[in-house]
This record gives sequence, C-alpha cells and structure tokens, in this order.
Amino acid sequence: MKKYLVLLLTLMLTGAMYSQAKKPTLMVLPSDNWCITNGYYLEFDNQGIKEVVPDYRKAFQQSSELLLAISKINGLMADKGFPLKNAESVIKNINSTSALDNLRSSKDGGSAIAESPVDQLLNQAKADIILQLTWNVNSMGPKKSLTFNLQGLDSYSNKQIATAAGTGTPTYSSEIPVLLEEAVISFMDPFTNSLQAHFDDLFKNGREVSLRIKKWDDWEFDLESYFGSDEEELGILIEDWLADNTVSGRFSTTDATESMLIFEQVRIPLYYDRNGRQVAMDTRRFARNLSSYLRKTFNINNKLTTRGLGEATLILGSK
Amino acid sequence: MKVKKIIPLALIFLLTTTMVFGQSKRKKRKEANIKWNYEIKCEGISNNGDFLLKVFSFADNRSLDMETAKKNAVHGVIFKGIISTDRSCVTQPALVKDINKQEKEKAYFDKFFSPGGAYTKFVNLTTGGAIGANDRFIVKIGRKRYHKIGVMLSVNKNLLRKELEEAGIINKLTSGF
Repeated sequence: MKKYLVLLLTLMLTGAMYSQAKKPTLMVLPSDNWCITNGYYLEFDNQGIKEVVPDYRKAFQQSSELLLAISKINGLMADKGFPLKNAESVIKNINSTSALDNLRSSKDGGSAIAESPVDQLLNQAKADIILQLTWNVNSMGPKKSLTFNLQGLDSYSNKQIATAAGTGTPTYSSEIPVLLEEAVISFMDPFTNSLQAHFDDLFKNGREVSLRIKKWDDWEFDLESYFGSDEEELGILIEDWLADNTVSGRFSTTDATESMLIFEQVRIPLYYDRNGRQVAMDTRRFARNLSSYLRKTFNINNKLTTRGLGEATLILGSK
Repeated sequence: MKVKKIIPLALIFLLTTTMVFGQSKRKKRKEANIKWNYEIKCEGISNNGDFLLKVFSFADNRSLDMETAKKNAVHGVIFKGIISTDRSCVTQPALVKDINKQEKEKAYFDKFFSPGGAYTKFVNLTTGGAIGANDRFIVKIGRKRYHKIGVMLSVNKNLLRKELEEAGIINKLTSGF
C-alpha cells in the first residue's frame, strides 16, 4: 500500500514539474533613440545607404547613468522573482565566445569551427522580451525634469506588451541619477502590472508565435499542389491542421503564395499531453507536430528550424 | 411625592437614551469604517519603494481613530490603487485586480483588517498622527455632517504585495512559469 502511495506522489510531483510553462527571458536594452541621441552608435555603408545602428558595448562602457538604471530595474525585477539577463554580460560573453571559436582548430586536420552565416546573424544579444529603455532630461530655465519610457517588446510577435511612461516633477536641485532612480522605482509597478496582464492572456489564450512554411527550390511540388484523398491544396491542408491544433483555432495567415505561407498570431497551447502527463509546449514542439503530420500523412520530408522561443520555419522538400 | 418619583425615572430614561444614542454613533462610525469611506492621495515615493500617502478619512467628530486611517491606507493600496493628480507621483494600479476579491476572500481580509491584524505591519504614521491645519474639512454627506480628516502615512507596497502573494490572494509575476 505504501509503495503505491509513494509511486502516486512521485507521479504527481513529476507531473507538477513538467506542467510548468517555459519562462520567457527578459533583458533591458537602451532604445535606438537613446543610443543615437547620446552618441552611442556605429555608422556603416550598406550598399550606398548610410546605416546607423546602436553601439551597446560603447553605451555600457561609457554611460554610468545607463548602468544605474539597468541595475535598478534588474534589482526590482529580481525582487519579483523574474531576474533579467544582464545585457552587458551577454554582449561580453558573445565577444569572448567568438574570439575563442576563431582561435579553435581540430587536432587532426586543423579545421576551424563551422559557423554558417545564419549562425553569425543569430549570435546577437537577444531575449524573448526586451525591456526597451529611453529617458531624456528636459530643461526649463534652471529647472530640470526627466521623461522616462520603459517598453516591453515581444521579440517574436514584435508587439509592445507592456509599458510605463511619463514625466517627473521639475526640480531645481536633484541630480540626474537621483531623478532616474526615482523614475525607475515609480514606473516599475505599473510596468509589471501590464506585464502580468500579458502573462495572464498567455495562460488563457495560449502563447503567440509565428510560423513560416517555405519550400526548397528543387522540390517538385508547391503549396498549391493537391494532396490527400480529397485532392485538397497543401496550403489549405496546413491551415486546417492549424485550425485544429491552435487554441480556439486562432491564427492569421499573413501571406500565402505557391512557395510560402506566413502565419502570425498563432496561439499555441502552453501544455500538451505526453504519455498521460502535461508537458510544456514550445514553438519547436508545435512545429514538429506539423512536420510529423506532413511527413506521415503526405510523405513530405521537411526541415524544421526555430528562432528563439517564438518563431519556427518549416522548409518542405527535404531535410 | 409624585414629583420625587418622577425625577429618578426621568433621569434613568435620559441616561438610557444617551447610552442608546452613544452606541448608535459608535455603530455608525464602525459602519463608515466597514464601508471603507476614504480618499487617498500620493505625496511621494521613497527610494526603497515606500509610498507616502495622505489619507482623508471620514469621522463623526473631530477626533479620528488612527487605526482607521491606517486601515484605509492599506485598503486603498490593495483595492483602489493610488491616483496621482500631479507629477510628484506616478499613478499606481491596485494590487488586487478583481473588485470583488474582498467579498470572495472575506475570511482572510476580516482577519487581515482585524484590530492588531496583519495590516499593521505595512503601514506607519509619518507625522505621529499630527493633523495639518489644512487637512480638516467638514463635509455634508446626505443629511449628515462629517469631519474629513487627512493623515500622512507610509505604506510598504513591496512587502504588502509579498504578503498577498504568499496568501494566494494575488498571483506572483512568475506564477505558471
């Protein structure tokens, strides 16, 4: 009897452990506007067009006010049980990892580590939710005030999911770091409140992700080819599968051509049932199910790639 | 002889009436407290996240029970949020989003706001209960006149949130992950 009880408890505990949804990563970064206004940017020539991009490394090395604001936000978020990725450390880590990878070679042939152009592009400071920080100091005669803007941006749906913004009282005496600290303290609660509303929506309506279906050049079929016993277009069959497998059948088809399908606002469930227990669902797992469906039902081989937690691409034709 | 008998009877009658009216007044004051009749105004935020609030409570007479003011301050932070009318503060949302939470969690909140209850851990009088000259008003609500009295208090919102999170009244930001 005791054995059964222990077994039951173990199963319940395991179930509880697995039923946790994947926690999104958060990171604070200064906005492009703040970086460029304060001179922390890089200029380069992109095929004749002058491009300006923020230089985060320089900003972290030279702006003590930025460090103070980020440190304060990190502290307050950690206090709420949500420690953030430290952008400065992430950038340092990327640079040192790249340097090490460049120096590494194999024992036998002396060949370097394989890194595709896609890997290089993905090797950036990233998080599922970016807390984009902007502030500027307003002067009116001897008085100074601070306008503060903190935006929570979902990296994959590109939506602003949380916000807190406003201007403080004009003052004669307070220094900028003090004004900045006050602003962070004042705005964090309204910000986390809107972030909580986003998480509540996530648990109720599912996680919002994007899904892209593409085809290899050399594949003999396309998304308008007919498949199945009912001779239906492949694109329509994929949409039917999404309607059956998303939360309340919610998704939007943004683009549909014979070679490409783009789905946005795809609401995937947070959990799925595996061997009788609830397991956390992510974009990769969801797209993997579609991949299996296409392979098993229509004999379509495909390659699945993902970007972070929120975007998956399925390339039809081969691996 | 008759007069001698009537006087004690009249005295007893008067005393009883006064006691009944006294009880009635206390009951009314208690009722006003139960109805959470107050106004709350943000006066500033400290560097550790304590909110400096001015809470205007309503009383039958000039003397206000400071515990009522403290309860009102904590109640405001939990259920109403802190509205700011100027730029010295940022409007803060209520900790509890469900407006019926107090009725739904009646047992918890009755204990929380009971005399000497958990609410006392999160609130402090900042001026020792002193009431400013401009913080007393007489207002007429219906047919009755009330004293509207403002008291300065500080509320530790962070600790209060943690208490409510631990009690399962509100969700943690991380809950579900």
